[in-house]
Amino acid sequence: MASVAIGSSEQYNYDIVRKFTIMALIWGAVGMLIGVFIASELAWPFLNFDFPYITFGRLRPVHTGAVIFGFGGSALFATSYYIVQRTCQTRLLSDGMASFTFWGWQAIIVLAALGDVLGYSQGREYAEMEWPVDLLIAVVWVTYAIIYIGTIMKRKESHIYVANWFYLAFILAVALLHIFNNLAIPVSLTKSYPLFSGAQDAMVQWWYGHNAVGFFLTAAFLGMMYYFVPKQAGRPIYSYRLSIVHFWALIFMYMWAGTHHLHWTAIPDWTSTLAATFSIMLLMPSWGGMINGIMTMSGAWDKLRTDPVLRFLIVSLSFYGMSTFEGPMMSLKDVNALSHYTDWTIGHVHSGALGWVAMISFGAIYHMVPRLWDTKMYSLKLINVHFWLATIGTLLYITAMWISGIMQGLMWRAYDDFGNLQYSFAETVAAMHPYYAMRALGGLVFLSGMILMLYNCFMTMSQAKGVASGDMAPQAA
Amino acid sequence: MIDHGKIEKNLGLMLVLVMFAISIGGLIEIVPLFFIKGTIEEARTPEGIRMVRPYSALELRGRDIYIREGCYLCHSQMIRPFRDESMRYGHYSLAAESQYDHPFQWGSKRTGPDLARVGKKYSNEWQVQHLMAPRSMVPESVMPNYPWLMSPLDISDVGDRMAALRITGVPYSVSKVEFDNNVKEFGADVAKQLHIPDAQKNLIEQAKTGNYDGNAADVTEMDAVVAYLQVLGTMVDYSKFDNDSFVKFR
Amino acid sequence: MEWLMWFTRLENTKPLGLLIFFITFCGILLYVYGSKERGERLESHKNMPFQDD
Repeated sequence: MASVAIGSSEQYNYDIVRKFTIMALIWGAVGMLIGVFIASELAWPFLNFDFPYITFGRLRPVHTGAVIFGFGGSALFATSYYIVQRTCQTRLLSDGMASFTFWGWQAIIVLAALGDVLGYSQGREYAEMEWPVDLLIAVVWVTYAIIYIGTIMKRKESHIYVANWFYLAFILAVALLHIFNNLAIPVSLTKSYPLFSGAQDAMVQWWYGHNAVGFFLTAAFLGMMYYFVPKQAGRPIYSYRLSIVHFWALIFMYMWAGTHHLHWTAIPDWTSTLAATFSIMLLMPSWGGMINGIMTMSGAWDKLRTDPVLRFLIVSLSFYGMSTFEGPMMSLKDVNALSHYTDWTIGHVHSGALGWVAMISFGAIYHMVPRLWDTKMYSLKLINVHFWLATIGTLLYITAMWISGIMQGLMWRAYDDFGNLQYSFAETVAAMHPYYAMRALGGLVFLSGMILMLYNCFMTMSQAKGVASGDMAPQAA
Repeated sequence: MIDHGKIEKNLGLMLVLVMFAISIGGLIEIVPLFFIKGTIEEARTPEGIRMVRPYSALELRGRDIYIREGCYLCHSQMIRPFRDESMRYGHYSLAAESQYDHPFQWGSKRTGPDLARVGKKYSNEWQVQHLMAPRSMVPESVMPNYPWLMSPLDISDVGDRMAALRITGVPYSVSKVEFDNNVKEFGADVAKQLHIPDAQKNLIEQAKTGNYDGNAADVTEMDAVVAYLQVLGTMVDYSKFDNDSFVKFR
Repeated sequence: MEWLMWFTRLENTKPLGLLIFFITFCGILLYVYGSKERGERLESHKNMPFQDD
């Protein structure tokens, strides 16, 4: 097969995929490490050490930036470049432009993290980067769109495979969201004020914030799912028709749902009712994707027993199904009245982020690495251990946040016999301590799995280099 | 005949349709908010003076530091219309109260309590001590210490900051006409505070007379942050309104 | 412009929205699953990821 690999390295640009894959692994480990640290700060506040640059308030955007844009973003660049070339059977539009997206994107992650630590923040969740970084993002993103669209334009197949639809929607939507959410008037290189204020700004921010989840962390990862689940399972997707229906429904409906982050706040009631309605309807297209992925296994369930990579992919879909059920439920106004402002939201996000986004990326990377480096995985056993660490870590994390979130929500609204508030705010904070510790532990378990993966993948790469420098030993792909 | 197969083969058509599908939701939910009257309530005194005003130079710098330190990641500024929240924090928040907030700071998580009406609830001394060492005041707190807020405040570009906000529509004044209009809308005392050419002078004066950090000689970041915290939620005087006069806006 | 006000009343827009979405939903289902021949045509591309091996 070695000769085939040489042939395909000329046909496809795998170099860029390899680079992004390595950075996804590194940013994953870095971002999750910071996550564990800030989770520990909430449990043991002495860890802030009176040092401005590592306080929770400044490190939290570093954590979200590193895992969403560093880890998730690099994984999406890697998989999208891999999939678009293989399903269009053509090389990327331009190697130079692809290389620019790589270095540009890495620079963005580093600059964003530096800005967060130094306190240069727009004060917008998941969009803390100040305007010069925002401009760089726009340039890199447009280049990415040109490469992606250009590659599809020179495809050898007349049909565009479904995975590419999802990546296309993701690229367009993120461009739209990024531009409108970051409109600002600069004061200096490191300070600007957003164009909108108050209620309107809140609407724009959560239109962005929720669809960062909907398109960056969902639609694009569904694209990943539509390629790697069939490939790893060795059977075509369950229903192409279902994918057509749920694709259009998903991208249409997601854009309405953001306002459920603003239930009971000072926005007009009709916007939040509309958002709740669409959030509930969103259950159907979300589950459409989950069913399509999981049912691909029908008739081949036994593969799950022997293939830990496939297990990552399928369990990630289960977590996706679970959190897309939980989401619509939390968007009901009465549930939201309890859950909002509590850790329940944090737990919900992480059941999606750890259970769905991270796990499907792990599966995809484990699938790609042996093919990209033309070798076998260093250790299948370690993948299996990683799978269990990831699953247990996620469950610990979300269980802790469910308990603390619901408990704190109930304590805030508890009354004593005289109709007074039963608990001071400080008492409810004290009650959170054991669950914050448990959450940090869950994060630590998940992180240890990530580090195991890093080790496993780097051993695989170095063993591949060893082979390459010596004989071209025949390897089964 | 409609045929989805055509879209699957026609990239341009697919891009157009995707763009269409993802634009509708935002257009319908966001654009009307800029045009529908009543999205932002009117809160005026019986004399017709607007109660909610832009931040003074010192308060604005305090707010910038609030954003710099990421306070919004643990503190909300949005009281919901529930009995427990009104007992704990006060009257539910109006949209008008954050109409000059670029960006809004409603927040999404209460690791610490809501701050929408924290103004005047505690003394300046309490605020300073709490920011320096939260657990010395509230043993259960998990908030970091912020001792570096005692460092001098950079006031060199406060005028530029106000000028940038003026472009977004905050009524800070540059010309005489704008100033006079502010006098009419906000009263003479407030109008002076909103005048950009006097920004640095006003800032120093407010810090010295307010003496927020217990040190009248220097203008520190602490002065600015405490000045900001002490004004939060205090602008609208609810005793001037009937209990349900704001309900119609929801 | 007065007729636009009809849409601002929730008792009008709710059933209208329900009607529009339900009809669209039924239409999509009918299109996708209604005809066997069309169904097979739509399904014919599911093997694409395997053509590169």
